Formats: sequence, structure tokens, C-alpha cells
Amino acid sequence: MMKITDSFTRIRLIAGTTFLEAVRQKFFNSLLLISIALVGSSTFFQQFDFGTGELKFITDFGFGALFFFGSILSITATTQLFFNEMENRTALTILAKPVYKLEFLAGKFLGAHLLMLCFTLVITLVLSGILYWREMALLDRLGNELISSGSLIRYGDVFLFGFLQWLKFGILTAITLFVASFSNTNLYTIVVSFFMLVICQLQYIAREAYTGMEAGWERFLVLVLGLVFPNLQLFNVGDQLVFDVEKAPAVSNVLQITGYGLIYTVAFILLAQVNFRRREI
Amino acid sequence: MRPIEAPAWQSVKAGQSEMNLEALEGALGQGLVIGVLGGFRAILADFLWIRTNTIWERKDRAKLDSMVRLVTTLDPRPDFFWINGSRMIAYDVPNWRIREEGGYSDVPEERQQAIDLEQSAQAFDLIDQALEFHPDNAKLYLEKAQIYLNRLKDDANAAKWFLQASQQADAPYFAARIHAELLRKQGLDEEAYDFLKNLHIQLPNTPFAQKGIILERILDLEKTLEIPFWERFIPTE
Repeated sequence: MMKITDSFTRIRLIAGTTFLEAVRQKFFNSLLLISIALVGSSTFFQQFDFGTGELKFITDFGFGALFFFGSILSITATTQLFFNEMENRTALTILAKPVYKLEFLAGKFLGAHLLMLCFTLVITLVLSGILYWREMALLDRLGNELISSGSLIRYGDVFLFGFLQWLKFGILTAITLFVASFSNTNLYTIVVSFFMLVICQLQYIAREAYTGMEAGWERFLVLVLGLVFPNLQLFNVGDQLVFDVEKAPAVSNVLQITGYGLIYTVAFILLAQVNFRRREI
Repeated sequence: MRPIEAPAWQSVKAGQSEMNLEALEGALGQGLVIGVLGGFRAILADFLWIRTNTIWERKDRAKLDSMVRLVTTLDPRPDFFWINGSRMIAYDVPNWRIREEGGYSDVPEERQQAIDLEQSAQAFDLIDQALEFHPDNAKLYLEKAQIYLNRLKDDANAAKWFLQASQQADAPYFAARIHAELLRKQGLDEEAYDFLKNLHIQLPNTPFAQKGIILERILDLEKTLEIPFWERFIPTE
């Protein structure tokens, strides 16, 4: 009987190879460069801003880049990594060895998720650096005595947002793996995963619209759909973070969001495994 | 999943007015914008606002209206878009329409008033939408009050909205003073007198509150209303 530690070793090896393969992809590098350039140029774009303060604008812009490009990257990179194995027939070689299909999927997921960790970390660091630079310039101009706490920005919140987005990318990666597990083409997987992303972003509206509905099959259907599609708006806490300590979500809420993210990630990987087990490679 | 999700979702939702819209149409629009654009909606709205100004310069009122609505849908958070959009609709568009119909000298007074009412209604509709996102923003109440006062010459409604503005936490001190002045203008001297007395008691002792001016107006009203000497207002410092 294979030991559980052996299983983890195999997952780690597949994850490591997947990660190395992913960071060498031109798509990842170009998207990362575009995102860094965009976040870096946020001070330039700030001159077109009408409604908000400089630091708020830069934060919004950075969070926007993280969410937008991160979503594209997690779906596209996962699809590419999965189908590369299929098209190059390397999946056959791996699965011919004593490797479970779940281990293969878990390894692919972890590799892609590590890639997203790198992306999130780099963008968050660049954003924090730019915020720090602008904050110092602003404090110099205003004079430190005007600011009671000595700091305008809560940098921990920038990283907290990054962490929550990373969890969201985890769900997206797992959803993409689930779609890829029954799909035959790259394009189909990418398109369906993007639709899933939009549905998950909007499901709260349908759920709330049907809250007042009397018990019946429609209400039951909405409840089931609300359960099947995760509510990704739950991770959308950027407006509540960074500037106002009173608005920031409580630690218990952050833990609940983390738990929610992890449960859906594991659930979608297991669903992918159900499909992938039956798949002829 | 509900026990894990529900408390966190309540907290996230409470912090974002865009997620609490009653109307399904508005909620869908906001959900889609946040879901697809995220933080990029601010910059997109900014670029579209620049485009809105070009359209405003060209006096293209049909496009102006749709652009203002597009920008405020994309990013409803800054009050700048709501306030300036409503000003364009309430003050500029009526002038364009009257000029299109022959100018102020040729268009009958009734027609001019009808155009003003029509455009102001559109601006009020926009401000009402803004109040869904910013229910405590005094600037929005003030904007409505100013349109009633300056464009529609409706002192009664202007007074009502200046009063509402003065009741917001970030209200400027002048909102309450203008409310009292508008009461006087309508001949409601007794109401204005009572209002100013209460205002003088409530206001802090800061130069910005202009308590001296309020006291002058109280004294003025006491003369007009012929308040007996022993019933007159005695300021407490």
C-alpha cells in the first residue's frame, strides 16, 4: 500500500514541474510585465482622475490590475498547463507510473496556484512600493504634524487584499481544472471558465432577488445554484481596506472568507477528479 | 456553506452601497461592472468623463444624457460625476433647448418653464440615484436645493432641501442659514424665528458657524414680529 507521504511527494514533484513550466511561459511573463507597468504608471493615470484622492486612485488601480490580469492569468495559464500535458502526451507517461489521477490534478492545481502566488506577490509589492513613495511625497507636502497616526495607508491591508485575491484565484484555477477535465479543447475551457467567473461574480444578485420568493421549486433552484456557483463578490473587499480602520472587515470575517475559498477549491478539484477519472487520455 | 458565508457576506455587503441596490436593473449593472472591471472602473469612468465634456462642448444633449448615466453607472462612488452631471442636465441643457427653439426672446415664458421643469426632473432623478449610493452626502441635497432655488425659483422646495442638507453630518453651516432665509422670503417669519433660535443654541462657538450673523437675523425678526422685550431671545455663550 502506498504511503500518504509518497503521495504528497508525487504531488509536490508534479506541482514543482508545473510551476517551473508555468513561469517559463511567455504568456505569464508578458502578462506580469504588463501588470507591473500598469500599476507602475498609475501615478501617470492619476492626472485623469476626477473623483478620488491620489492614494485611493492608485490603490483602486492596483487592485483592479491584480483582479483583472490575475483572473485572466489563472484561467489561461491553468488551461495551457493542463492541455500541454494532454497534447504532448506527457500525461500518459506520468499516469502510466503509479500516480493517481487525483495526485496529477492536485499537482497541476498547486503548480498553477504557486504561479498565482508569485503574480499576486509581485503586484502587491509593486503597489505597496508606489503607495509608499506617494505617501511620503504627500506627507512631505502636508507636513507630518497634520497626520495624527503618522501613516495614511495600512500596508497590511494591501497584502490582505492580495491574500484574498489569491484565494479567489485558487477557486478560479480549480473551476478551470474542473472544466478542463471534461473539455476537449483549450478554447472551450477558457470561454466556459470565463463565463463561470462572470456567473460567480453575479450570482449574489440572483440569490438576493429570489430571497423574498415563497417556497417552491424556483426558490430551491436558486438555492442550489447559489451553492454550486461560489459567490466571488465575497472576496471583493478592496473598498473597505487600506484607508479606514473602521471599515475593515473583522478577523472572523476574513477567516470565514478563507474557509469559504478553501472549501470551494477542494470541492472543485474533487469534482474535476470525478470527471478526469473516467476520461480516456 | 451558509453559516460560513452569511456573516462574512453581510459584512462585505454592508461596506459597499453598490451591492445594496433595490432595483434589479441597477444591481445587475453594478454587479457586472464590479465583476468584470473591478478597480479599473475608476479610470474607465474618468476617461469617459473627459469624453462627456467633449460632448457637452458640442451641446449634444442626447449623447450627454447617456454618457452621464454611463459614467455614473461605471463608478458611482465619486460625487463629482453625479453633481456635475446633474448641473449639466439642469442648467445647460435647458439653455440649449430654448436656443434651439428660437432663443429666450422668442420662446414663450410657459414653454421655457416647461423645459426647465423637464430638465430639472431629469437632474433630480440623477441625484435621487446618487442618494442611493451616498445617502448622507450633504452636497447632493444641496444640489437639489440649488436647482429648485436657481433654476425653478421654487423657494418652498428649495427651503425643504436646504433643511435636509443641513441635517447631514458633513453639512456646511450656510445650508441652515439659507433655509431660514428662504422661510423669511416666503413670509414664514415665525417659523424662521423659531428655527434660527434653535440653530443658534445648537451651533458650536466657532467663527465658521457665523453665530453673529444668525443673532443679527434673530434680532431683526424680533423687530418684525414685534416680540415683547421679556420674550426675546437671550444668547447663551
